[in-house]
Amino acid sequence: MLSERERERYKRQILLFGNEGQERLKSSHIFIAGAGGLGSPAAIYLAVAGVGEITIVDMDTVDQSNLNRQILHTDRDIGKKKTVSAIAKLREYNPDIIINAIDTTITADNIRGLVGQADGIVDAMDNYPVRYLLNRVALEKKIPFFHGAIRGFYGQATTILPEKTPCLACIFPRAPPKEVFPVVGATPGVIGTIQATEVVKYLTKQGELLAGRLFLWDGLAATSEEIALEKNPACPVCGSGAGTEPPAGMIR
Amino acid sequence: MKVTLRFFARFRELLGTDIIVEPHDGTRLADLVAEVAQKNTDGYAAIFDEQGAFREFVILMRNKKRVETAEAGTITVTDGDEIAVFPPVAGG
Repeated sequence: MLSERERERYKRQILLFGNEGQERLKSSHIFIAGAGGLGSPAAIYLAVAGVGEITIVDMDTVDQSNLNRQILHTDRDIGKKKTVSAIAKLREYNPDIIINAIDTTITADNIRGLVGQADGIVDAMDNYPVRYLLNRVALEKKIPFFHGAIRGFYGQATTILPEKTPCLACIFPRAPPKEVFPVVGATPGVIGTIQATEVVKYLTKQGELLAGRLFLWDGLAATSEEIALEKNPACPVCGSGAGTEPPAGMIR
Repeated sequence: MKVTLRFFARFRELLGTDIIVEPHDGTRLADLVAEVAQKNTDGYAAIFDEQGAFREFVILMRNKKRVETAEAGTITVTDGDEIAVFPPVAGG
């Protein structure tokens, strides 16, 4: 049941999906992997939307060079753990929800426990090896995986639904090379917000998800594109190739 | 015949996009992309490695359907094809 305070707080979105949708948000738990450029807007929008429990994981410390894009953290947080900074901001945004912030590196050994009983995983990572891990655990737990990635003015997003859509390894069998990527903060703002929108839609059962579709954002040209995605029948993660040698960079 | 090549993101910066070419019959997909990419050294190097093979992360689509880059050397293009070439991004 929603309290009177909650009905007031969420009044403008209850207009969209009713008390029922709001209660679905309240009873949900979302796991956000990363409190950086994508994790910041995704976490903020999911917190203010009233997702009942949010777990956010990051192992980093706030650095001055993060501040052009990681809007969960501010100048006075430099040197603090991102988890400490994130939990403080998210609690200020919404004191009525449960926030868990875990200061650790996501590994093949701890990931299942970290994700726990979450209803979905938001990909706010900056590297493919951990993305492949998240993808695999989402498939195992049969929960959606909300993928996003950015570079410069460019971004991409898709919503992976286990057994229904291609998985991350079908779509990107090989990781792009590692680099110190250039970025302007508004780009993860666009993509992280799309991820949050997808989560809200999924939880409240609204609209059409970005399922089986790759959304490509080109901020420089101010255009977006969409590419239809297909499962790779021989995918080493979700297809007939499961159990064979994983692609380079993919951690079991 | 006419074929449209669409480059995305960094590839677009280096090579432009919506490039209409008129290849002769029997032109292989990989050769067509290489020929267009060769107009810019950095653009070519972003897509192809030193041996002239597609870099392994490059995504190639033909008429909105994924083409394995390893097979692009054997597939011939046909009139009206739309070829999309893009690099996945990794940052967060």
